Amino acid sequence: MGLFDKLAGWLGLKKEVNVLCLGLDNSGKTTIINRLKPSNAQAQDIVPTIGFSIEKFKTSSLSFTVFDMSGQGRYRNLWEHYYKEGQAIIFVIDSADKLRMVVAKEELDTLLNHPDIKHRRIPILFFANKMDVRDALSSVKVSQLLCLENIKDKPWHICATDALKGDGLQEGVDWLQDQIKTMRT
Amino acid sequence: MSSGEWSGDGGKWLDAHYDPVAGLYTFSSCVDLADLSGDGESRLVVGDLGSGCSGMKLKVYRGTALMSESTLLDLPAGLVAFFMDLHEPRIPAVAVASGPCIYVYKNLRPYFKFTLPGLEVNTLEQDVWQQVREGQIDPLTLKEMLESIRKKADVPLSVRSLRFLSLDADDMDDFVQLHKLQPIRRQTVITCIGTLKKSTADEDGVSCLVIGTESSDVFILDPEAFIILSKMSLPAAPTAMDVTGQFDVEFRITVACRNGNIYILRRESDKPKYCIELSSHPVGLVRLGKNVVVGCTDESLQGFTQKGKKLWRTVLAAPITTMAAMDLPTRGFQAVLVGLANCEVQLFRDKNLLSTIKTPDVVTSICFGRYGREDGTLIMTTKGGGLMVKILKRTAAFDDRDSAPGPPPAQSIRLNVPKKTKLYVDQTLRERENGLVMHRAFQMDLSRLRLAAAKAYVKALESSLTPMSSSLTEPLKMNAVVQGLGPSFKLTLNVQNTAACRPVMNLAISFLYDESLYRMRSPYLRIPLLVPGLIYPVETFVECTSDKGISDIIKVFVLHEGRSSPLLTAHINMPVSEGLMLS
Repeated sequence: MGLFDKLAGWLGLKKEVNVLCLGLDNSGKTTIINRLKPSNAQAQDIVPTIGFSIEKFKTSSLSFTVFDMSGQGRYRNLWEHYYKEGQAIIFVIDSADKLRMVVAKEELDTLLNHPDIKHRRIPILFFANKMDVRDALSSVKVSQLLCLENIKDKPWHICATDALKGDGLQEGVDWLQDQIKTMRT
Repeated sequence: MSSGEWSGDGGKWLDAHYDPVAGLYTFSSCVDLADLSGDGESRLVVGDLGSGCSGMKLKVYRGTALMSESTLLDLPAGLVAFFMDLHEPRIPAVAVASGPCIYVYKNLRPYFKFTLPGLEVNTLEQDVWQQVREGQIDPLTLKEMLESIRKKADVPLSVRSLRFLSLDADDMDDFVQLHKLQPIRRQTVITCIGTLKKSTADEDGVSCLVIGTESSDVFILDPEAFIILSKMSLPAAPTAMDVTGQFDVEFRITVACRNGNIYILRRESDKPKYCIELSSHPVGLVRLGKNVVVGCTDESLQGFTQKGKKLWRTVLAAPITTMAAMDLPTRGFQAVLVGLANCEVQLFRDKNLLSTIKTPDVVTSICFGRYGREDGTLIMTTKGGGLMVKILKRTAAFDDRDSAPGPPPAQSIRLNVPKKTKLYVDQTLRERENGLVMHRAFQMDLSRLRLAAAKAYVKALESSLTPMSSSLTEPLKMNAVVQGLGPSFKLTLNVQNTAACRPVMNLAISFLYDESLYRMRSPYLRIPLLVPGLIYPVETFVECTSDKGISDIIKVFVLHEGRSSPLLTAHINMPVSEGLMLS
């Protein structure tokens, strides 16, 4: 960490990072972002996002600006307009929805092949969400179904999460923070 | 969950699920999608026919898993999900038609059973059975009497009497003993079922049930009280139907019947309003907007307007096994899915084939709609009992191109023909009145024209004005120009090769003239290769040696090397030399 970073840390100025939060509808994107916010700023009722919403939260060294995109089919074509600004991607998957795993894979493949993403070494964090649901798939199974092993040129990480309780979220955000720091230095 | 196993659909569908041993034996009429728990996730409701005589079940799928199943008493003829009341939360009920009854399930529990009213019973038959009950006649006499009633009566016999007639003599006694105390009833059975919105067109509006019966009737049932609101009769037993509109406003029931006709019923009358007579029996009926698409046993798909006018017909590669509508309101897309016996499912918009899905087995039922949270889901069951779920890609686009050979689309575009002017009308009238005179005048002028042309030709031939070669291999054309006043003249011969693409080579020009009058600088000229089409000027100089003021003809010959006869000859009338000899 450079001198300026330290100085900035002392002054309470943190580096800004733009993160895109993507995933199918009803996968829990807004719930996850809501969980990551300080407890006094958390919303009680989560409703389906329309278009997108911008949320901010801070970790020990970074200040995250999250573009929480709507996952509904008719809004998914908005995603690509924000690819340029994103410095990291959070991709949320509903582990309990086996039927739509192919749809999640299709959207992920479209994302990875987009010209704004394809040649950038951008970290991708996968949240295999809804682990609390009884017949949810494990994170290993999810990564198999999405063929994550084929992503060779980007750092990625998958976490099994339960956004309702907040399990597994911190691990993922810590990984993302490390990745962003190593990219900067 | 395998992907990419069966391609050929142009990558428009995602293979979400395939279970070849799901054990689902059903038809499109017994499959529906409905949000049965009110959580925004649609479930798949299937009336499973089992083996055909046992194992009939009502099955509900959620995602890839079977969520619940309950036993059905009889073979299901049709299954629909419908809203029967306005209670919150808005959860639809499921109606299963089997035999003469409709079983209504709410929250997947049996809720109500509706039985169709019995039909009129033959009074003679009733009397005969009455006598049996009183012990006045024995089974053999009963059989004879029933036989005679069966032949004569207008009202058919009940199922019990028919069954009795089919029995062997040994079993008759037991049968009579078992059944004689029960009154005779004649029941019809349900052949098809549909839903009709009662008063609002909302997606979650209360719907009436519409049922077609073996007795060639169509009933509309009130969804809450289950009383018959309306009864309509058809000339034949219905096999498939489509219902649109609202009961309180205006509705239209399109029914395919067993006599090979399609009837269209409307609100105001209890008899069919329109009739479509098909050349072969219908196997499937789907409505797309205002048009009806019918699949027939002669492997054809036909489109009709809602008034029964035939729009188009297209021939398919194999017999049709099932049909379903594909309606995507969010994309404004409507098409027909047709399952074929050659393991294909084809997608048609009007008569145009948009895409083909290859399946590992013959598809027996197709259902398209919202399943789970995905709007464009295609659910198919196969002959072997498999369940297949495909999801339409978000980026999939079906191009409207007419792939079938036929007239180009430009042909059907209406031309902007201008209105008839007064002049045009007058002219037409004149032509109509004086047709004979005009024709004669035209023929006369034509003959004159021909005569003039022939005369000119003869004149040209006689005077060799523009000589032309008649040879096919060297078609040549030449004209000559004489310039000058004399005694020196310049003679220019313009030679042209009139062949389409063949050059002419090895040509020469020679002249024949009176040597006492003229002197030529070069009486023999070689012509270069003649490229087709170009005009080549060949020049030479002629000197008149006489000062007596007379002129003569110079003959020009175009010759081919090695051949004695000239290809072309021309006579040039030389002008009189006006100049004086310098020497």
